[in-house]
Amino acid sequence: MIWTLIRHELLINLMTFRFLVTLISYLLLVLAGSIVLTDNYERRLASYNAAVQEHKERAARAETYSDFTPFLDRAPNPLSLFNQGLDKRAGNSIQIRLGEVPFLWADVYRSAGFNNPFRHLLADIDLVSIFQILSSLLALMFAYDAIAGDRENGTLRLILVNPVGRGLIVLSKYLGAMLCLTLPLLMSFLLALLLQFQSNAIHYTPDEFLRVGAIFLTTVIYTSTFYLLGLLISSMIHRTATSLIVSMFIWVGLTLLYPNVSLFLVNRFMDTSERMEQAHQHIEQFAERFYREEEKLQNPFEHLGRGWHSSYTHRSKTITSIPVESELDVPAVKAYFETLTALQMNTAKAVWRVREQAFSETYIRKSRTARNVLRFSPTGLYQLSTAAWAGTDIARMEDFFNAGRQYRGTLLDYFYDQKAFDSRQWFASDKGAVRWVDVPRFSYHPPSVSGDASNRALPNLFLLFLLNPVLFMTAFAVFCRQEI
Amino acid sequence: MLWYIIKRELFEQISSLRFALAMLLTVFLMIVNALGHIGASKVQQAEYRQNVSKALAGIERDSRQFYNLVIRGPGELYKKPSPLSFCAHGSENNLPESVLGWSAGWGWNSVIDGKNYPFSGIWRLKYTSFPPIRAADIFPIFLRIDWTLIIANILSFLALIFTFDAVAGEMAQGTLRLTLSNSVARRTLLTGKFLSNLFSLGAVFMSGVLVNLLLLYLSGNLQLNTQEWYRIGGIFVVGLIYISVFIALGLFISTLLNTPSTSLVILLLVWVIWVILVPSMLGTIMSGLNLPSIRKGPNPIYFTRSGLYERYKARGLEEGAPTRQRPPTPATMLWAEFLNEELQEGKRLNKMFLRAQINQIQIAREVNRISPTAVTQYAIESLAGTGFQRYLNFLKNAERYADEFNDFLISADRADPDSLHIPFVREGMSDKPVPFESIPKFQDRVRLEDAFKGAILDVMLLLLFFMVLFAAAHVSFQRKEI
Repeated sequence: MIWTLIRHELLINLMTFRFLVTLISYLLLVLAGSIVLTDNYERRLASYNAAVQEHKERAARAETYSDFTPFLDRAPNPLSLFNQGLDKRAGNSIQIRLGEVPFLWADVYRSAGFNNPFRHLLADIDLVSIFQILSSLLALMFAYDAIAGDRENGTLRLILVNPVGRGLIVLSKYLGAMLCLTLPLLMSFLLALLLQFQSNAIHYTPDEFLRVGAIFLTTVIYTSTFYLLGLLISSMIHRTATSLIVSMFIWVGLTLLYPNVSLFLVNRFMDTSERMEQAHQHIEQFAERFYREEEKLQNPFEHLGRGWHSSYTHRSKTITSIPVESELDVPAVKAYFETLTALQMNTAKAVWRVREQAFSETYIRKSRTARNVLRFSPTGLYQLSTAAWAGTDIARMEDFFNAGRQYRGTLLDYFYDQKAFDSRQWFASDKGAVRWVDVPRFSYHPPSVSGDASNRALPNLFLLFLLNPVLFMTAFAVFCRQEI
Repeated sequence: MLWYIIKRELFEQISSLRFALAMLLTVFLMIVNALGHIGASKVQQAEYRQNVSKALAGIERDSRQFYNLVIRGPGELYKKPSPLSFCAHGSENNLPESVLGWSAGWGWNSVIDGKNYPFSGIWRLKYTSFPPIRAADIFPIFLRIDWTLIIANILSFLALIFTFDAVAGEMAQGTLRLTLSNSVARRTLLTGKFLSNLFSLGAVFMSGVLVNLLLLYLSGNLQLNTQEWYRIGGIFVVGLIYISVFIALGLFISTLLNTPSTSLVILLLVWVIWVILVPSMLGTIMSGLNLPSIRKGPNPIYFTRSGLYERYKARGLEEGAPTRQRPPTPATMLWAEFLNEELQEGKRLNKMFLRAQINQIQIAREVNRISPTAVTQYAIESLAGTGFQRYLNFLKNAERYADEFNDFLISADRADPDSLHIPFVREGMSDKPVPFESIPKFQDRVRLEDAFKGAILDVMLLLLFFMVLFAAAHVSFQRKEI
């Protein structure tokens, strides 16, 4: 019996005008979106490759230990085509320096890729935002007359004359419509993948395929949530026109208003400037202490060779030839740099402690509040979950910076092992430049899909999924208690 | 007759569920907007004043020694924040808030006769002072609730909800036939429907605006002068025209189709694509966001490569340092020529780089104008004095001021009888302090004409959209069989 009903629903839906419109609008938008996004990704990848090359050459040019400040670059994530998250916005380059522990908010870590700083004026869109708007709208359009329409036509009464339970009717309507909604969705995902594979830049690993699959599944659940919402409205309101209007208001409220209004208010009323100001002052104190200590030290070679320094974070020196008469000063210079580097590292450690604390109390807390607020709407859950699947959320960015910090630790350990800090090669290359043969290399391996899924994607997806049975049961209960 | 139709329609509209919902939604959003902007403007103004006074203190310090002014210029020039940012946010957080007037900053050393002769390029405008990555960058992206959003997204949506069944609904009920059996011209009927919808949506818009302004006024955040009231009036009118576009669209589709729900389905799809997706996709596609040529602004390495210094070295730049000798030695003249050319070249490159960046955004904006939403957004931003257009005006002001400042430098130098009057080499210019009061100060003027001039084209375009759609609605209604 249920199959007959589903087939009936499916055929009715498939032949409608709105199905055609659905299909065409999905495909057109995904086509346009994929082309832009793929092109965009190619550019970012090219600029990443150029940056890696440049930084490699730059690191190889360093002749002394003090001049070795490698850059770590973050590769663009191909899944940012689906949900760009922070992938384009967060810093994508870390400079490892003795005097600073890398952190996510440093001004120097400008995201490269586009040289036009005005680019943020133009809105960026990704595939998930297209689906977020379109699939929810279409789901409601399929649902608004599911019950109200049948009731208005009188067909509902006819169907109920047969020995069919009301539960079965609701279920078959749901399944039929969901099949109809999933089909164009599946086609547009395939189209998007197809277009992406046209590009030489994008190669998905099996892990990334799993992620795309998970994004698809999340989209289906998201669509289903909106369909059930529409079904509930349709069973509560008797006239189709009213049901449509109410559905549309709810749609605007959930997809457009709730996320923006709540984020607007959170952003406005969570003020972080005072706490950050306090942290800056604290950091200033460390810096001043550093400068005081530094002034006490004497560097006999201050005017020799070339050097570069920036605030308290960096001091480099490269002396290519030491005059014979100055040779006697070398032990003193060694001692100078040994003390200075220890001072730098201590300052970096102290500053980092303050900074980490301040960040967790301001930016991170603010962003966490924002994300928690978003959890109250299906749209927010959808965004959060897909960002976690795509690996473009804040946790991933932090993970990269953690890896950078770890690398800095490894590098410092390596310097200790090489006894670099009190060596002549710290500041002079007259007896030969440092050979960077066995220096530890940085490589970043993003966590696998299971890692991302378990702590971020799945909880949000579960919440989104939980809405489905709740809505279904409510719609069913309302429908059962109604007189036809 | 027209008035009778309008009255009837209006009465029906106002007593409907959608009118109540529309009113609720708009007023709610306007309250959110007001809440979000209470205090914001004061903070902004205070920050601006603080920045400006810091910059002025810098000038005062430099004015004690004339040549410092020549090298460092006026320092940072700040853009005056608009008090109307609650009308249009204009992605101000993605735009630089200042232009830096500063030396070329390439403390160069020439070795002349075995002695170091330090010099640097004299001041010029540098455009790239972009806001650093901020906390907001890890904050999820969201649209700010300003008037632009409320008008562009919400009121257009409401216009469609109001009109989708204007003709199709009456057609389905059969009342259309009854109405037309009276001696009513079809065009009168359609115009009546249009006007009644415009009035009811206008009332919704108006009440939202009033609540918003009242809240801001009561909280003491609304201190506007006459000019700014004109601007608000302008924004209101643009909003009404934009609403009319969508009412006309709704009537057009509603006359084309016979079932109201199909009409709404089509309208909403058009809305999603035209209002939400096109403005955020099309421009980005068309502009192709990469800059081909110079990666960084002019820097010493560039000059070494482009051979400016080498060329002058060949002409004997390193053979003699400029002196205060009278009459001026050839070395002084040559150095002055070199510094002048360096300045012109640096300015030209800075500007070329900026223009390339701006052009890309301009192209994207031109393409985005396919959507009336983008058109409206640009018009409102221009009227509110925020956004990209305003930034360009600010740059123009800064450039004008830069010329004024240079003229001042020359004339201040002329006034000193001990100077050689050879700009801009240190030894050829005055070395006396200049009175701080005589130095021109940067004032970022926002003129009403500029705002209206910036918006007028967009308003015309919007009117064009409206006329085409309204005519289409009329034609299709005339040809409709009922």
